[in-house]
Amino acid sequence: MTAIVELHDVTVAYGRRPVLWNVDLAIDEPCLYGIIGPNGAGKSTLVKAALGLVPLSGGSVRFFGRPLDDVRGRVGYVPQRESVDWDFPVSAIDVVLMGTFHRLSWFRRPGVRERDTAMACLDRVGLADVASRQIGGLSGGQQQRVFLARALAQEADVYFLDEPMAGVDAKSQERILRVLSELRDRGSLVVIVHHDLRTAASWFDRVALVDMRLVAAGATAEVLSRENLARTYSGHLDLLDEIGRAMQTGRRTR
Amino acid sequence: MTPQERLESLLAHNTLVVAGGVAAVGVAAAVVGCFGVLRRRALVGDAAAHATLPGIAAAFAITGRRELWVLLAGAAVSAIASLGAVTLIRRHSRTRDDAATAIVLGVSYGAGIAAISGLVARGVSGSAGLEAFLLGSTAALTLEDSLLVAVISVAVLAVVLAGLKEATLVAFDPAFAAAAGWPVGWIDAALTALTASMVVAAVPTAGAVLVTAMVVIPPAAARQWTDRLPPMLAVAGLVGFVSSLAGVVASAVVPKLATGPAVVLASSAAFLVSLGVRLLRTSRRPSGMSEP
Repeated sequence: MTAIVELHDVTVAYGRRPVLWNVDLAIDEPCLYGIIGPNGAGKSTLVKAALGLVPLSGGSVRFFGRPLDDVRGRVGYVPQRESVDWDFPVSAIDVVLMGTFHRLSWFRRPGVRERDTAMACLDRVGLADVASRQIGGLSGGQQQRVFLARALAQEADVYFLDEPMAGVDAKSQERILRVLSELRDRGSLVVIVHHDLRTAASWFDRVALVDMRLVAAGATAEVLSRENLARTYSGHLDLLDEIGRAMQTGRRTR
Repeated sequence: MTPQERLESLLAHNTLVVAGGVAAVGVAAAVVGCFGVLRRRALVGDAAAHATLPGIAAAFAITGRRELWVLLAGAAVSAIASLGAVTLIRRHSRTRDDAATAIVLGVSYGAGIAAISGLVARGVSGSAGLEAFLLGSTAALTLEDSLLVAVISVAVLAVVLAGLKEATLVAFDPAFAAAAGWPVGWIDAALTALTASMVVAAVPTAGAVLVTAMVVIPPAAARQWTDRLPPMLAVAGLVGFVSSLAGVVASAVVPKLATGPAVVLASSAAFLVSLGVRLLRTSRRPSGMSEP
């Protein structure tokens, strides 16, 4: 069976500073997939490498057994919220519409069909009533949901989300998680960069632990073992007891 | 001449055509300038503007000709070279964006001034006219000159409006655009080239030093009126149109007033009014717009 995403021996360096070493990772079925690791572990870089947004120093990436450029339309992306200027003069619906642009040829403007799609996507994340508001007037959680709606408008089979839960209120977190679970249930792969171990244990079906290298990958309960966590968070040993407790709660809620 | 006579000569001369050309530059420079301002690249355009001077001096020194198209061709070459220099310095030294831009701006402006004063000092015939490019002077523009800058403006405006979807996408979220498969590097380069074209076309009017008056101030004024991009482009175009016309008229009527300072005063007046109106409007509206 062909993997949905396959990273083979991927190495990335910014200047002379290596940030990811020899990552081998294959994900072969639809699920909620968490990329977990400490700050500066290269989690975002891993996603950017997969999407061709940073040059690879070595290795290769394939989607559905093919190069990314053949299947761009099947891959959706939610960048980190801080990566854009929220004072930009666009409304929520304008941003979501951008998710439909790749289906339009050069210089073609979005029409009624694209508008309907965008509106439906905004509705799925519960923001239909703020469609025409300038994005700077939205809360952090609403901004994140606008980004998610834009990815939904891409109508992809694989989604990459970079820290979608960072700085997001509980109501938005719940909504985002529900939408992502729906995507999985309809057969999409959802890859999520996430830094909070407590919630990772209960949210994700599978996880990869990353700390410049791939430490472990697989089913969440097996991967988030004390030993693996100690290897990943070696500089943060004080965290481990807390994580142990979180794992217990995580198992109970499942 | 009394101001009355100046105004009459302004209307009599082919000045109306000149004013039309300058107004077209005002509109196009403001519209393309919106993307520079939104991408936080306002200073880069300013560096390119200052960098037109050595190109103008070199084109004159090499060809010995003073036609506007010759000088502007030189200006375009050195403006593009300056943008390349900013990129090179940023990539290959430990110098950040703003410092790299400031270095290129200073060096190219200094080189331009040195070259022009060198030509003037040697008494090269016609070289004194080059000083008009420092602060702008529309009085000397011929019919052909106005047509040239008008054609550049209309072409740039057409390309920007045709590629509005692509330009907006790349200006707002280049990472998302790249992930979706758009050639972000090329779109970015196209936007930069369009900005450079308008900077070059605006130099005869505003002068190398004050091109900002036409490329940065109208977009900044327009942003105060609206939260959407299409109306922002329209308002910026309007501010550019009115302030460049006001500059042409004022510099024709007021003795020894260069066009650039007149345009910059007009467009900053528009900015101040816009800012004042926005502050009044927001202070009347209840605060706390956002909700969880």
